[in-house]
Amino acid sequence: MSDHKERLDQSLSALMDGEATDIELHRLLKEVSEGSELRDKWKRYHMVSSAIKGDAAIASIDYSAAISAAIDEEPAHRQGGLAVFAGSAGRFAIAASVALVAVFGVQQLNSPLDSIAPVSEFAGVEQVNEENTGPAIQFPSGFQPIINARTVSAGGNNKNSQFVTPVIEVRQQAERNYSEAQLRAYMNDVMAKHSNHAALNSNQGMLPFARLNETEAAAKKE
Amino acid sequence: MVFLRLVKKIKVAALVAAVLLHGPLFAAQMESAHDLMSKMAKASRELSYQGLFTYEYRGNLTSVKLSHGVRDGQIYERIQHMDGAQRNALSRSDNVDCLRTGDMLLRGSAYKINDQSYARLEDFYEFHIKGEGRIANRRVVMVHVLPKDKHRYGYVVAIDKESGLLLQSVLMSHTGKPLERFQFVDISIGGSLADLGFDLEASNFDDVALDQSNCIDNNRQITTSTSSWSTQWLPPGFVMASHKIADTDGQESMMFTDGLAVFSVFIDIDPGRSLPAIDANLGATVAVLTKADINNQEYAICVVGEIPRATANQIASAISMSPSLPSSPSPSISPSP
Repeated sequence: MSDHKERLDQSLSALMDGEATDIELHRLLKEVSEGSELRDKWKRYHMVSSAIKGDAAIASIDYSAAISAAIDEEPAHRQGGLAVFAGSAGRFAIAASVALVAVFGVQQLNSPLDSIAPVSEFAGVEQVNEENTGPAIQFPSGFQPIINARTVSAGGNNKNSQFVTPVIEVRQQAERNYSEAQLRAYMNDVMAKHSNHAALNSNQGMLPFARLNETEAAAKKE
Repeated sequence: MVFLRLVKKIKVAALVAAVLLHGPLFAAQMESAHDLMSKMAKASRELSYQGLFTYEYRGNLTSVKLSHGVRDGQIYERIQHMDGAQRNALSRSDNVDCLRTGDMLLRGSAYKINDQSYARLEDFYEFHIKGEGRIANRRVVMVHVLPKDKHRYGYVVAIDKESGLLLQSVLMSHTGKPLERFQFVDISIGGSLADLGFDLEASNFDDVALDQSNCIDNNRQITTSTSSWSTQWLPPGFVMASHKIADTDGQESMMFTDGLAVFSVFIDIDPGRSLPAIDANLGATVAVLTKADINNQEYAICVVGEIPRATANQIASAISMSPSLPSSPSPSISPSP
């Protein structure tokens, strides 16, 4: 008997250290449910352990009886073999889903574009007009030079053309030797040449030509 | 207590298993995304196809008919705007094997900048396969192309599963807003030049200059003429793909690409000071024009491309005249031996 008790004590301390095997745990649980001696010992071990760790509240109150009584009053849940299996399967499912979330989370981090539906939000992409505080000046057609660049920016919605024309901001206004037509012609020319470059030298084939609007295409033919 | 530990153990095991299982899968995906991109570069040159695509920016939509035919090693291309004023463009290249810088970078080859360094597309973009979709009634693979720095934009592209052709390309800003979109609505792949209607235009093609310039040589470099201008700063990964010395109007131009994005630099002599410094936008294309006064000569330096404005500004401000002109080569390209 003392041999048995000694083995139980060893199992108990193993449990306290978190090293008890399943068999030991079963034996301990069985013993604790049958007699109070081992339960008291278990409680003492915990109090000692708490004291060593420096935990402040070393409660001498035994909740176990009250809890036990409360559990007895609860209507019994059916706990068949299947339910036990389902329980552990559920735990595994949770664990697996946590892992899955972790993996997906990593992927999400990798790709900020994930959250974007490219198709839906096309209309108003405005890059230039952060400083747009004044009204847009409407020019007849083509590019729209802005004479006072700081305050005015053309919205680009030219009423006479079905295409949005390029927005041009003039950065400095020292001496005005240029004409709008000149500026427009120059910009048309470089944009057309750039499209040509891009078509020839990139992998996009002739796609860049689609970027040219009517006025630029006309300028290109000249 | 032990149950908790057990659950913890299972969690850890599941996590480890998931990561281990997923790791190689992920790597395979990355590889095939890049393979897809290089397949796309090849297909869009070497296949014959005809289709309608839309081009969209800032709420504007244009529709364009594109024909691309290959015969006897020659590439014939026609582009026709289907709305607005009548606009057509023809192009002809005599050598289907003539690879240009952009092609080569996209095909996954390293571009030799000099003996020590190479430019590789995957150093500057990440490629992620994002499932499948349907575009122009064809099954496509969606690929997200993310820039690794702020000097270039990202793309959302759709690549035809069967042929490898690019059926959709959306240029994305850094904040994830679409800047412009190409998308096919209908495409037929295959067919002879006659099917594509090119033979009717045979005479028109006689007027189209053969484009033979800027093919990549065996040394994985293009041979460029020396320029009196140099770029003191380029966004990493961009290499010069073509260079035209001053034409009759006195305009010199250079083109740079990282394999996906393209920008051009134009340098004009501006004796009448007739051009102001400007910032311009057309859809996703930005233009930055700066003025430089060198030896009492006024120059207009213009950077045009589908790149962020800050990048364009930085490039423009870093262009200067080479001190020892005209024999010094541009630092971005080492001369071929």
